[in-house]
Amino acid sequence: MQKFTTVSPEETEALGEKIGAGLKGGEVLALFGGMGAGKTALTRGIARGLGIPQGVSSPTFALVHEYHGRLALYHFDMYRVESWDDLYSTGFFDYLGTGGVLVVEWSENIENALPESAVRICFQRGKSDNERIITVEGMDP
Amino acid sequence: MKILAVDSSAAAASAALTQEGKILGEFYCNVGLTHSQTLMPMIGGLLKNTRTDIGSVDLFAVSTGPGSFTGIRIGIASVKGLAMPKNTPCIGVSTLRAMAENLAHLSGTVCAVMDARCGQVYNAVFRVDGKTAERLVPDRAVSVQALAEECKKYAGPLFLVGDGAGLCYNSPWFEPLGAVLPPETLLYQRASGVAKAAEEAFREGKAVSPGGLRPVYLRPAQAERALKKKMGESRK
Repeated sequence: MQKFTTVSPEETEALGEKIGAGLKGGEVLALFGGMGAGKTALTRGIARGLGIPQGVSSPTFALVHEYHGRLALYHFDMYRVESWDDLYSTGFFDYLGTGGVLVVEWSENIENALPESAVRICFQRGKSDNERIITVEGMDP
Repeated sequence: MKILAVDSSAAAASAALTQEGKILGEFYCNVGLTHSQTLMPMIGGLLKNTRTDIGSVDLFAVSTGPGSFTGIRIGIASVKGLAMPKNTPCIGVSTLRAMAENLAHLSGTVCAVMDARCGQVYNAVFRVDGKTAERLVPDRAVSVQALAEECKKYAGPLFLVGDGAGLCYNSPWFEPLGAVLPPETLLYQRASGVAKAAEEAFREGKAVSPGGLRPVYLRPAQAERALKKKMGESRK
C-alpha cells in the first residue's frame, strides 16, 4: 500500500497524472471518499496521464463519461446507484474486460461488485482544509 | 420474405439480410468496439452492397437477450428506429436460441452458454436432430457447476456454443461429460442465426410492432447479494 499527502487540488491532479502515465489498460481504479475529497481532481490527472486532451467533468448525471487517449478511460460516478439493477443499467459490466481503464467514483456504493483485482484509492482529510491523505492499494509498482 | 436481422448482444456484432432462407449478405465484426458506433454503418453497408432498399424489408429481427446490457439496448433501439417509419413487423429472438442455429445440423444436445461473470452463465438447452433445434429449458442464469450436473441427463453428444463455451469446456465439472467445443466459425451467435430463428417465430405468429420489442434481462444469482458492503465489513 502506498500513501500520499497532497495539500491542493493541483497536487492531487499531479498524483493522478503519475498514476495515469503508468496504466497498462484493463485496470479498475475504485475511488473511495466523500464530497470534495478530490476524486474528480485525481481523475482529471489520470486522464492527462493517459494523454486525453479534453477536460474531465464529474459524470454525476450521465453516470459514465468516455474519453479516448493512449487508452480508453471510462469514468463512472456511482453516487446515485442503489441496486444491482441500477448498476447493470450503467453498463458497468460491459466495460470490464474491454482493455480500457475504469475509474469509479463512489465505489462505496458498489463495493461488492468490484473485481478482485480493483485498485483501491481512498481519500481522507488531513490536518488543514486542503490537505488530503490518499492511499493506493493493489497497484502494480 | 426479406428479413433484416441484427445481433449486438455480446462482444461481436453482426447484421444479415436473408430471403426465403438464403443469406443475401452478412456483416460480422468482433473487435470489441462499441456497437453504437459500428452497428449502423454495418447495416448501411449491408444494404448498399446487396443493393437493397430498406423499404423492401418485410421483417426485422433482433436478439433481445440475454447478453450485454448496453449491447441489447443498442440492437433493439436500432431495429425499432429502422422499422418504425413503415411500422414493419419485428421479431425479438433469444440470443441463446439464435446461436443454437449454428449447430442445428448436428444430432444430440446443444448447450448454449454466455458468460455472465462470477462463475455464472446464461443458458438454454436444445435437442437438435440435424434440421431443427427444439428447446428443452427456458433461458436462465445458472452456475457452471449446476449446469454440468444437469447436462448429465441429456442425450449425447453434448455440444457447447456461445462465448461461455470455453469457460464451461475448461471447467472441472464439464470435463467428465466429454462435451464438444465447436470451432470459432460456429462458436458465436450470428445475425443469420437470428434471421433463421425469426423465420420460425414469424410462422408461429410471434411478430410484434416495432414498439412491442422488449429487452430480456436475466440476472445472475450474485444479484441476491448486497451491493454495498455493510459497516465494518469493509476492508480498512
